[in-house]
Amino acid sequence: MSAATSRFEAAPAPTHPSAALLQRGDGVVELAFARRGAATRIARLYHRAPCRVQVPHAPANEPVLAMLLNTAGGLTGGDRVSIGVSAEVAASATVSTAAAEKLYRSLGPDCVVAVDLAVGDAAWLEWLPQETILFDGARLRRSLKARVAATGRFLAAEMLVFGRIARGERWSSGRLSDKWRIERARELAWYDSMSLGREAIAHPAGIGAAEALATAAYVGADAARHLPLARDLTDDLPCRAGATLVNGILLARFMGSAVAVRASLAHYVGGLRHGAAGLPTRPPRVWNI
Amino acid sequence: MVAIMAITAEAALYRLMTWLSPAYPVGAYSYSHGIEYAVGIGLVRDRGTLVDWIEHAVRHGAGLGDAALLAAAWRGDDIDHVARLAQSWRGSAEMALEASAQGAAFLATTRAAWPHPALDALALRRRGEVALPVAVGVAAAVHGITLDAALTAYLHAFASNLVSAGVRLTPLGQTDGQRAVVALESAVAATARTARDTPLDEIGTAALMIDWCSIRHETQYTRLFRS
Repeated sequence: MSAATSRFEAAPAPTHPSAALLQRGDGVVELAFARRGAATRIARLYHRAPCRVQVPHAPANEPVLAMLLNTAGGLTGGDRVSIGVSAEVAASATVSTAAAEKLYRSLGPDCVVAVDLAVGDAAWLEWLPQETILFDGARLRRSLKARVAATGRFLAAEMLVFGRIARGERWSSGRLSDKWRIERARELAWYDSMSLGREAIAHPAGIGAAEALATAAYVGADAARHLPLARDLTDDLPCRAGATLVNGILLARFMGSAVAVRASLAHYVGGLRHGAAGLPTRPPRVWNI
Repeated sequence: MVAIMAITAEAALYRLMTWLSPAYPVGAYSYSHGIEYAVGIGLVRDRGTLVDWIEHAVRHGAGLGDAALLAAAWRGDDIDHVARLAQSWRGSAEMALEASAQGAAFLATTRAAWPHPALDALALRRRGEVALPVAVGVAAAVHGITLDAALTAYLHAFASNLVSAGVRLTPLGQTDGQRAVVALESAVAATARTARDTPLDEIGTAALMIDWCSIRHETQYTRLFRS
């Protein structure tokens, strides 16, 4: 990457049309967890810059934790990140990120982030990254695909923040396409395709001018049984929140101020992982709630 | 090869008007698509806010998503995939009920009154569980109804049913309800075009507040509507 150009300044026109593309990041993470005796171990790990993976020591009562890092500090138009995580039969793992993901202003192309998760029978996988912050002008095309075996369990939460709120910035231009695709026992169970721009953020029936939006999904044969808990956990929160069940998938949404959504999501994730798996009533320590 | 019935334009209009009339026994009147909750908390309170809300549902909510699913079903591309997607692409339990209960009723009634082997085959393959836009899309295709006409009629039915729910839930009168239908005409036309011209995979919605109202409606204390 050229040291002379900042991400925040218009880059000089490249001499060759492909030059700009070649500069872009193309990060990859491939991670597999496998059960070895009573413990879960990392069975496969591959990463390509700017993606890295850290495996901090997890407390005894917590699943193995893998933390994803972006050494470039953020993503911009044209960058690609591809993340594949598999929790094999009876493995138990949590995947989070070391910091919020920053999406810088794009000079044109979308940034593409593809997450592909697989959960084997009797396995437990948590996909709990920290929030994604869309700087003004950011363009992001993101997809999350999860394939969960009939007796596997999966908890995912994603939070989007529309602008650098603390400094008064709002995501007022750019584009977001966000897709969820959850298969359970090889059959599509929940699909969502969101396409957001400025108008939808402001519209009362769109995002209702919220600073942040979070989505959580829980997949497991016991999901319907946890609906009352999920409803309790989404009641009386400092943001708009609610939980529902679609095709046996337990879903929750959160909208409001960035601070309130973050705290509410942490409350929900903590309560649900405790209720469903007996784990500590708190999200991964890296969330720093 | 599915046999497409060759019919006159008048016959096509007759069928389409029948299927998407509020009198067709699918129970459309019992679904508010979350508007009952939106009225309860004051987000929808008069004609202006009702039109805004429904226009967003048409252009950026289930209107757009269902119209795109209808178009894919009408074209007949991988019907199992489209049918499964139509069941899965729901933001709440009650919106899933809205699509599946009306779809099952539409399929059963249409098979009985307007039979066609393709509808029997669809019911058999999906064990009668077909979301409304998919059932309407297949019925329209095999009965020789054009995609443009089917999309316009479907979106009109969706929008005017929500206007009717709004009229029942707010102090709006019937004439104001019709003014709302007038105000939604261009949104219906534009959404029909988008649904026709955009690959299903590229369609995205942006109606999180509608999803949220629908979710909260599930636990609303007093309710007239099933959604």
